[in-house]
Amino acid sequence: MVAILEKRKLRDFDWLLTLLALAIALFGTWMIYHAQPDAGYWKKQFIGLGVSAVVMLAVAFTDYRKLVHIAPAFYAFGLFLLVIVLIPGIGLKINGQRAWIGVPGIGQFQPSEFVKIPTVLMLARYFGRRPASALSLRETLVGAGILALPVGLILLEPDAGQAITYLPLLAVVLFLSSVRMWMVLAALVLSVALVPAAWVVGVKTGKIKGYQQERVNVILDPENADRRGFGYHTWQSILTVGKGGLWGSETSGDASQSKLKFLPEPHTDFIFAVAAENTGFVGCVLLLLAYAVLLTKLIHGARRAPDRTGMLVIMAIVGGLAFQIFINVGMALGMLPVIGVPLPLMSAGLSAILSTSVAIGFAISIRLRRFVN
Amino acid sequence: MKFEDETQNLRVRMAVIHGLVVAILLVLGVRLYFLQVVRGDYYAERAENQRIRRLKIPAPRGAIFDRHGKLLVDSRSTYNIIVAAEDMRGKDWNVLIEPLSTGLDLDPGLLRERLDEAKRQPAFEEVTVKEGATPADIAWVEAHTLELPMLIVREQPQRRYPDNGTLAHVLGYVGEIGPEQLKQPRFKDPAVNPFVKDHPYRQGDIIGQEGLESTYDRYLRGRDGYREVEVDSRGRIQRELSVVPPQPGQDIVTTIDLEMQLAAEQYLRNTPSKRGVIVAIDPNNGEILTLASYPTFDPNLFSQRIGTPEGRREARALMRDPLTPLFNRAIRGRYPPGSTWKIPMAMAGLEQGAITPKNSNVACGGGITIGNKFTRCMGSHGSPDVRNAIRVSCDGYFYRLGLKMELEGIMKMVDDYDLNKRTGVDLPHELVSWTPSREFKARFNPRDPAWRDIDTVYASFGQVYDFVTPLAMLKTVAGIGTGGRFYTPHLLKEARAVAGVGPFPERPARGFDRPDPKVVPFREENHRLVMEGMWQVVNAGGTGGRIKLDGFDIAGKTGTAQVVSLGKDVGKNKDHAWFVSVAPAAKPEVAAIALIENVGFGGTWAAPAVRSVYDVFVAKTHPELAPKPEPTTGRTEAID
Repeated sequence: MVAILEKRKLRDFDWLLTLLALAIALFGTWMIYHAQPDAGYWKKQFIGLGVSAVVMLAVAFTDYRKLVHIAPAFYAFGLFLLVIVLIPGIGLKINGQRAWIGVPGIGQFQPSEFVKIPTVLMLARYFGRRPASALSLRETLVGAGILALPVGLILLEPDAGQAITYLPLLAVVLFLSSVRMWMVLAALVLSVALVPAAWVVGVKTGKIKGYQQERVNVILDPENADRRGFGYHTWQSILTVGKGGLWGSETSGDASQSKLKFLPEPHTDFIFAVAAENTGFVGCVLLLLAYAVLLTKLIHGARRAPDRTGMLVIMAIVGGLAFQIFINVGMALGMLPVIGVPLPLMSAGLSAILSTSVAIGFAISIRLRRFVN
Repeated sequence: MKFEDETQNLRVRMAVIHGLVVAILLVLGVRLYFLQVVRGDYYAERAENQRIRRLKIPAPRGAIFDRHGKLLVDSRSTYNIIVAAEDMRGKDWNVLIEPLSTGLDLDPGLLRERLDEAKRQPAFEEVTVKEGATPADIAWVEAHTLELPMLIVREQPQRRYPDNGTLAHVLGYVGEIGPEQLKQPRFKDPAVNPFVKDHPYRQGDIIGQEGLESTYDRYLRGRDGYREVEVDSRGRIQRELSVVPPQPGQDIVTTIDLEMQLAAEQYLRNTPSKRGVIVAIDPNNGEILTLASYPTFDPNLFSQRIGTPEGRREARALMRDPLTPLFNRAIRGRYPPGSTWKIPMAMAGLEQGAITPKNSNVACGGGITIGNKFTRCMGSHGSPDVRNAIRVSCDGYFYRLGLKMELEGIMKMVDDYDLNKRTGVDLPHELVSWTPSREFKARFNPRDPAWRDIDTVYASFGQVYDFVTPLAMLKTVAGIGTGGRFYTPHLLKEARAVAGVGPFPERPARGFDRPDPKVVPFREENHRLVMEGMWQVVNAGGTGGRIKLDGFDIAGKTGTAQVVSLGKDVGKNKDHAWFVSVAPAAKPEVAAIALIENVGFGGTWAAPAVRSVYDVFVAKTHPELAPKPEPTTGRTEAID
């Protein structure tokens, strides 16, 4: 089902986007090496990159509309995977979360990463065909339903971090589907008021457990919180980042925080901190800039999409990526409590890299067909 | 855009999303700036602090020897097995009891006690579960590091003192510095103790708490070194960054002669009361050859066992013991000197002119009557001269001599011969003797504070107003023996030099800091008279006759100090026995004093104590006087 490559299409091919994504991913691999020089993570990531690049190109040269058309099949298959991963024999339990399926010969993959794509396609499919009018309640509920099924299953694993990365997908789609502005504002005001209130209530009633409290306390007051308990991760991350200084720390070779095992999960959750330690402020700002340009390019592509569905696909992807970057980097900088969310294109993990590459492939595919009716 | 419509202002909404995305990244950038540029150095330092540790390398403490180089005290490495509290967070301590008691051969009850006691401390970091671990114990711990990762083996130097409490009061013991001590100027103020400037005392430091360990702590202490190491998050050492080697402390050579000391302690052990003091010095320089105080204690308790609940119980029992074994009776026991007081009285009497060499006869009278009080003499001696008075220990003579000297004369004697001062020995906690004075009586007897003649009589014969420490008495008599040179008794012969190591400079050798005597010029004829009297005590039918030693003329004086009035002096209330001496009489080489509590006559109990010590001395310094070996009766040729 690959459309014929035409010369003009090569011109329309979004080279900058691809190169940026590749650059970030390679930078990520290099940082993974720094994080865990002796383990094989960086090698696996490198190979995964290669595979992902191929997959990305395959998706890019496919007509996205055909894929959107059969999205329900993908979606149903995704839900199926999310169900069977919960079965003890098939799903693997790692760190208390039964979120992985082992594939002999290849390794293991995480369905919850992949199901994001069909979910986005389903949302885009449903909301892309609607007439131009204000969003109705029924439409909202359908959207919520499309989300609720995978999110519900993911929460059973339990993987709260992964679950919340689905929320921005719906939020963006609803926002761009004429949800009434006042509703948006009302929702914002409510959440700003409710979240701290809910926190206080939760603490007093004991519903928020001790370790969760510690994680929040260490953000509010890192100097005085218990840094040896659950505040440990955040504190170590802050140290690692701060240590990087302007140009990167001199002792980031043998005496790095990750080498000495002070920084936990350096190749996944805290990869940004590793980058901060090694490349300093300059390196990190460049990284953030790269993300900014990448996301901007995606948004440009959304503006030039041939149809609403395509636009929604890209914007949902933008929302998801931006949200993940915010959560992961915010956590690494001690602004948010520790929530296990990978940093797109940087964190070690085959499933995440693949699913991000597919997403970018979609964006490229949509842009390639912008002149198609 | 192809799909826009008016109701949605899609462009605006997309711009909003775009704006949000940029805003998010900006916020993150700002936070980055704050962490890395503004606070970068601060965090880098914190990261450094958790990565780099300074591990102390303890310096070996100086050893202590006797004057002939025999080892008395040293330190040895021991190994303690410790459980770190941090590794036990959230875990139940009770699960440790069974494996530890079987694996390390510990009593489960005691182990539980230790854990409970430690947990009661507010900020406890670790619990020592076993001191003095054997190699088998250490192997067991290492074999079980996976199941029991919270166990640590730590090397610890431990002080080893002689067995049987030998020299316990002289050597003292070491212990951890207490929080009260850290506040004292001696441990804090460089003006008082210059050592403190470069090497402050810290909590956890082991210091000398008693005896020579305390007095010469600043010589015995070494200078600790350290290793700077890099650790990972589990505290495991990754590599060593730098090392500063420690400098050992200075060894101390004492003036003690171990053989004489052991003979003295053996004698005290065999007395009926097993309580008493024997001190021997070299009267020509004040070096203490022997200092034995009984009952004694085992200082190894404080250096080795005090950390355990059992050890602490033992220590508490010692402190509550009514026989006060922790007391150094030589410097803290104050006893009525009895008739030994007659020696300084005789010397002062002659020097002050109350009696003269030509005319030193004073009546005995079987006693003396003052007012309506009759104070007895033990015998009836006619009108002896000073030598005979000393030989037979005539109380009546000295009652009358005291009245001639008057209180002022007695007080002058006390002051001239330093009986009213500390001897200045290099041991802590020395007490001052109580000597006659108007203030003393006023305090003692508030119902009748005025000094009367009867009081002068009492002050003359070594009871009532005289309470001396044995060491003070010996210093005085030794000074009389040498004709007026009163040396400060001391135990330090030499603190040996230590070479410089790394950043620590050389430490030079040191001797005792007050070697010069107080000189009281005696007239030679007076001195000779007193010495003749003392000679006669032992060698011419005096009260000390049973210890006469041929070839080595002992001069001395017996004393029998009443504890309670005559008639009741039995059992626990028997008199204290004294004997003070210099030898040989013509040119003293050694001086000694013995006090045995509650046993009876000085001549019977205290004189042989001194003799036992002199025997050893003589065997070493005058081998020609040693008894000849018995000739063998067997043949030595081979039988054919």
